[in-house]
Amino acid sequence: MIKINNVTMKYKGAHSPAIKDINVDIDRGEFVFLVGPSGCGKSTFIRLLIRELIPTKGKIFIAGHDIANMRRGKVPQLRRNIGCVFQDYKLLPNKTAYENVAFALDVIGKPNRIIRAQVPEVLRLVGLEGKSESYPDELSGGEQQRVSIARAFVNRPAIILADEPTGNLDPATSGDIMSLFNKINRTGTTVLVATHDREMVDNMRKRVLALEGGTLIRDQQRGVYGYEE
Amino acid sequence: MSIRPFYFIKESFKSFSKNWIISMAAITTVTLSLLVLGFFMLVAFTVNNWMNMTERKVEIVVFLNDGVPAESVQSLQSEIMSWNDDVRKVTYVSKDQALERLKKEFKGSDMLSMIEGNPLPASFEISLKDPAKADEIVKRLKGRSEIESIRHDKQTVERLINFTKMARWVGVIFAGLLAFAALVLIANAIRLAIYARRREIAIMRLVGASNWFIRWPFLLEGIIQGLVGAVIAIAILSVIRAAIEDNVKRLLAFLPTGLPSQSYWQLTFALVIAGIMIGAAGSALALRRFLRV
Repeated sequence: MIKINNVTMKYKGAHSPAIKDINVDIDRGEFVFLVGPSGCGKSTFIRLLIRELIPTKGKIFIAGHDIANMRRGKVPQLRRNIGCVFQDYKLLPNKTAYENVAFALDVIGKPNRIIRAQVPEVLRLVGLEGKSESYPDELSGGEQQRVSIARAFVNRPAIILADEPTGNLDPATSGDIMSLFNKINRTGTTVLVATHDREMVDNMRKRVLALEGGTLIRDQQRGVYGYEE
Repeated sequence: MSIRPFYFIKESFKSFSKNWIISMAAITTVTLSLLVLGFFMLVAFTVNNWMNMTERKVEIVVFLNDGVPAESVQSLQSEIMSWNDDVRKVTYVSKDQALERLKKEFKGSDMLSMIEGNPLPASFEISLKDPAKADEIVKRLKGRSEIESIRHDKQTVERLINFTKMARWVGVIFAGLLAFAALVLIANAIRLAIYARRREIAIMRLVGASNWFIRWPFLLEGIIQGLVGAVIAIAILSVIRAAIEDNVKRLLAFLPTGLPSQSYWQLTFALVIAGIMIGAAGSALALRRFLRV
């Protein structure tokens, strides 16, 4: 599903690369944690996958498409197949939970008929039935993150990428969010979660990719967080 | 992607209502720019049109000596007519015809009773295709034995030509400067609109809205601003035109003033296109600078 070949990413003006010669293969339906301290290159890794950044060297394939050499006009198509979740939720404050999710379908030209069918369904899946008319500031952090996950998943993408999705949440709520990702993963969706939440990673025993200083230092099935504090 | 013009138009108007002050500034500048352009073009057209009509009458009058044989007159006329790159028309006015004309012009005056016989010379009236060529034609004709004198209203013609040229240039330069200002103001209005909607744009990009889907509302907003500016300019211009035409007609009743309506519609059309172009260019500038999709 995701294939990363000898990828190096150096920001303009930076003296050392943010990502150094990384090779990773992620299969369809896998659940993968990307771990490492702040500044280790986790966010850069995710931004490379949605082609917000283009690697300085190497190739990235998603579902067989070489996204580093992709035409600009094709990028939206790529992003429709990848759902993104962020630490700060990125919800529109003047739209309700329902409207926030519907917006994602609306702007890619989905007909109203499909929007009316899919949005309530995905809100039920993330456990927000009854909250669909609430505005973000009326929802708790965990609920807002559920809206954001619903928005990422509503178009049934093949891949979900999450960048520190529990960074602003307390441990109990974080656990709920992680089990939601697990649930989504069981529908056959590939899930990649970047986090520095040690407890979570140790509990879930999933594949772990550990980054340090932009280098992949460990790729472990049923792994643990593993850094010494 | 389904095309939903309603969505784009709705977004454009929403954004306009949010940033109406800066949008009004942009529209006003478009109006000013096109008004200046339109006004000078109108003046240039009108003068040009008037010139064309007078040119078509007579430009050079060649007075002939008395007693030149008819064959020489004939051959001179065909020679002048053979310069048909420059010459539009040659009319022969005989002595008798000249007298008739004079009589007509001074009908009822007692001046005619003072004339004995026919002192008027026969003449050729030459009208030209390009009044700027008058000098050359005069040079070619000078010194011929058949010709007594040549009258050529050189200064008036030259002054008119220079005046229309200048009107056009002044119009183009001032309008160009104002158009540039309008373009910058529109770009600024669009930049604010982009800034106001930066969160939505970020999410649209993230979920894979197509680039043109994101760009359209902003492009449309700029085009609408340009178009509104153009329409206002045209409205003001038509009022100015009507007022001027009335006054000029009253003062110079004998002159063919005004503009054929065809040129007027062409000017209107050109201004609308110019407005749209300024608007589109302004938003394109803002999109390039502030909306990397």
